[in-house]
Amino acid sequence: MQKKHYFDIKWAVILVIVAFLLVFQVFPLLYLVYRSFFSTGKFSLEGFSRIYTYEMNWSCLKNTIITAGFAMIFGVILAFPLAWLVGRTNLYGKKFFRFLFVTTYMVPPYVGAMAWLRLLNPKVGTLNVFIKNLLHLSENPFNIYSIWGLVWVLTTFYYPYAFITISRAMEKMDPSLEEASRISGASPLKTLFTVTLPLMMPSIVAAALLVFVAAASCYGIPSIIGAPGQLYTVTTRIMDYVSVGSQQGLTDATVLAVFLMAIALLVLYISNFVVGKKDYITVSGKSTRPNIVDLGKWRIPITILVSIFALIVVIIPFATVFMTSFTTNMGKSLFAPGNFTLKFWNTALTRKSILGSTKNSVISAVWAATLGMIVCLVMAYLLKRTNVKGKAVPDFLITVGSGTPSVVIALALIMTMSGRFGVNIYNTIFIMIVAYMIKYMLMGMRTVVSAFSQVSPSLEEAAQISGAGWLRRLKDVLFPLIIPSIVAGWFLIFMPCFYELTMSNLLYSTDTKTLGVELFTYQTYHSQQTASALAGGILIMVIGLNVILDKVTKGKFSI
Amino acid sequence: MSVITIDHVTKSFGNVEVLKEFTQEFQDGEFITLLGPSGCGKTTMLRIIAGFEKPTTGEVRIDGKVVSSKDVFVPPEKREIGMVFQSYAVWPHMNVFDNVAYPLKIKRMPKNVIREKVEGILEVVHLSQYADRMPSQLSGGQQQRVALGRALVAEPKLLLLDEPLSNLDAKLRESMRYEIKEIQRKLGITVVYVTHDQIEAMTMSDRVYIINRGVIQQVGHPIEIYRHPANQFVADFVGKVNFIKGLAEAGRIRIKGIDQSVKYDGEMRGDVVLAIRPENIELTSAEGHLTGILSSMYYLGDVNDCRVEVGDTTLRVTADAHTYDTLRVGDKVGLIIDSFLVYPDDGNDDYNKILT
Repeated sequence: MQKKHYFDIKWAVILVIVAFLLVFQVFPLLYLVYRSFFSTGKFSLEGFSRIYTYEMNWSCLKNTIITAGFAMIFGVILAFPLAWLVGRTNLYGKKFFRFLFVTTYMVPPYVGAMAWLRLLNPKVGTLNVFIKNLLHLSENPFNIYSIWGLVWVLTTFYYPYAFITISRAMEKMDPSLEEASRISGASPLKTLFTVTLPLMMPSIVAAALLVFVAAASCYGIPSIIGAPGQLYTVTTRIMDYVSVGSQQGLTDATVLAVFLMAIALLVLYISNFVVGKKDYITVSGKSTRPNIVDLGKWRIPITILVSIFALIVVIIPFATVFMTSFTTNMGKSLFAPGNFTLKFWNTALTRKSILGSTKNSVISAVWAATLGMIVCLVMAYLLKRTNVKGKAVPDFLITVGSGTPSVVIALALIMTMSGRFGVNIYNTIFIMIVAYMIKYMLMGMRTVVSAFSQVSPSLEEAAQISGAGWLRRLKDVLFPLIIPSIVAGWFLIFMPCFYELTMSNLLYSTDTKTLGVELFTYQTYHSQQTASALAGGILIMVIGLNVILDKVTKGKFSI
Repeated sequence: MSVITIDHVTKSFGNVEVLKEFTQEFQDGEFITLLGPSGCGKTTMLRIIAGFEKPTTGEVRIDGKVVSSKDVFVPPEKREIGMVFQSYAVWPHMNVFDNVAYPLKIKRMPKNVIREKVEGILEVVHLSQYADRMPSQLSGGQQQRVALGRALVAEPKLLLLDEPLSNLDAKLRESMRYEIKEIQRKLGITVVYVTHDQIEAMTMSDRVYIINRGVIQQVGHPIEIYRHPANQFVADFVGKVNFIKGLAEAGRIRIKGIDQSVKYDGEMRGDVVLAIRPENIELTSAEGHLTGILSSMYYLGDVNDCRVEVGDTTLRVTADAHTYDTLRVGDKVGLIIDSFLVYPDDGNDDYNKILT
């Protein structure tokens, strides 16, 4: 009998997208590793021996491990109690605090570095001087240009990663597990330590590792804080090597990047396949309302404590950025006579080069978010709605891409997409879109996958038995049901792409300069006030979008 | 109005064989019920007919046209089947009218035809006044009828129902049973109905398939299955039953472990299992076929649900409600056994272990 199968467009679409991931993500990253061993055309460890015999590089590696390590420890120590207080107790202003912490997550990390630079400058830092006067100290207590300064800023900007991960796990936990402990006679605190904490352990470890990788692969903070204090990390070092421009510089950068990538992949492996396997927190499918612990007489003191934390870590830095943007002479107070000005905002909002960069950022971020969401939707469909062998591979690739440090992604794309293999997208906006997608698609993917899990497959099967083909089913049933998640996922990709710095800094050309690069250049070389005005603009936008997102997803903010 | 031929179909998920060698033909206009415990493979069979699963081997034909085989696979959207899902699968973002109209819109029918047909079918499922409601404003039973209306609106040749009543409360389930049967009779379509509820199977079906562990145990009309279950599993799954081990001799079966026996004029000899339905035992304070001690009674209104100790086995007896007034727990009672079935005892107790 003649073979007869109906053509299904679904597989064509899935194949195209898998091919895209293979060409633009897997191949470049593999090639990067290959290059580090075969820099001269044949196998050699020459690159490694050159890099790792150089004292300077060792100190970079050390700095990276130390700062990321401490940021991880402090981040989790901060995040767990915060997540518990906000998620599971009757703390005052829970919603507000949650909004603040989640918003920090959406703010570009370099904005924090700019703020803390002003606050804790060893000579003139505002907060430094304030504390000195308050406590009658003989000298300023803090120096931001130190390894502890770096740890501090990294912590204050990466603890939200842990906060979000842990909060989400707490929400998913079946409250009857805790109720069973209470009915057996345990106090709320005892329950916290004997039931909640052990059950949450896998998520806490995952959160810790997430903070570690994010802090270790951060470029903006160490370059703004570390450079003035002669403090280098692997990321700033890689950037230096690349800016040398020579073939050898590129090779050296590659060798360092491979180190960073190895750390990231190791951490990813541990968190996904070792810790992830032990995850007790099962999603029951029905949304359970967590039981709320009464803080009793501690309610007010703890609320005050959390408020102070929010003030120091979120509000003061953000306010500082805004105040800086209105200050003519940064040596004097904003409120000194004649020191208030709008000219930096004027510059930020009218200068042609800035507007051009903003336009570039919007265009590339819109493309990255749109294409990214298409990839995420199709791959989530593959993962959740088909039975193909290896259906989880694209999901895994997207996770790997996001776990890979930005510098590594950028470097890998430079090496492979600048003509060597017949594709030359270097110096175009396309290379940035690709880089953004690789780095930030995961957020969209997570959002869409969780939305898919909430839509029963039978809804789609009902459309299928009614005669609807694949595209028709997506359009009529699946998309309308998950549209809030699609919108949320789109913004979650769009926002970090819009102000992205690290990859853009390596990939931009004169025509494709982005907002992040522009801001960074102003901060480092020209005018901190103009940079602050730009950062202020980004902050307003991030908070605004966050509010919209909150409305669109009806409070079910899905990061 | 179609004939479904299932030809040597098997289905495995990985190493687990959930359907073993299924060969059957469902006739035109028949109401077929696949009955079995959860995990027996009945839903898999239904999904193979619908095209949501592909058979591992074998062939499915609808009206002689191959829809699933080694070489041919017609996707569900091309099979022109109506289906009602266990979870109803009513689309929450469309109102009742749009839900029901969907299959017609896919067929690109003109608007006025769609309106006419949808209104007609809403009439059939008693939802005419709810056309503009959203599913969230409907009760479970109404959502159920939306799903039914949507499955019927395109006038399919074949209607598949996957445990459609399992999420409804007892009263509603009862009325929906009659409605579904009524609609089937009116439209004369072929229905394949999957359930684990024996009452649904008994009341609606022309033919019932009892399935366990992927194997058909018995096929037949409900009465035939209830009165003449082919094996202990069927006896146990359809209706209630007591099993007692015994030894068959000429003219009698001796109950093992005690010195009592019942009359038997069958052919079987040796180790046997007696299957006695609780309603086929009468209690009497006089002499019966067997004697036992009444150990508990539950008055259910229409009947009296009793347990009687006969030797070391406990027999369940559904006695006349009036016995409640005359008998007391602890009384010595006689059991009159109206009828029973005898199966050879192969030493296997699997019949009442229901796999999930």
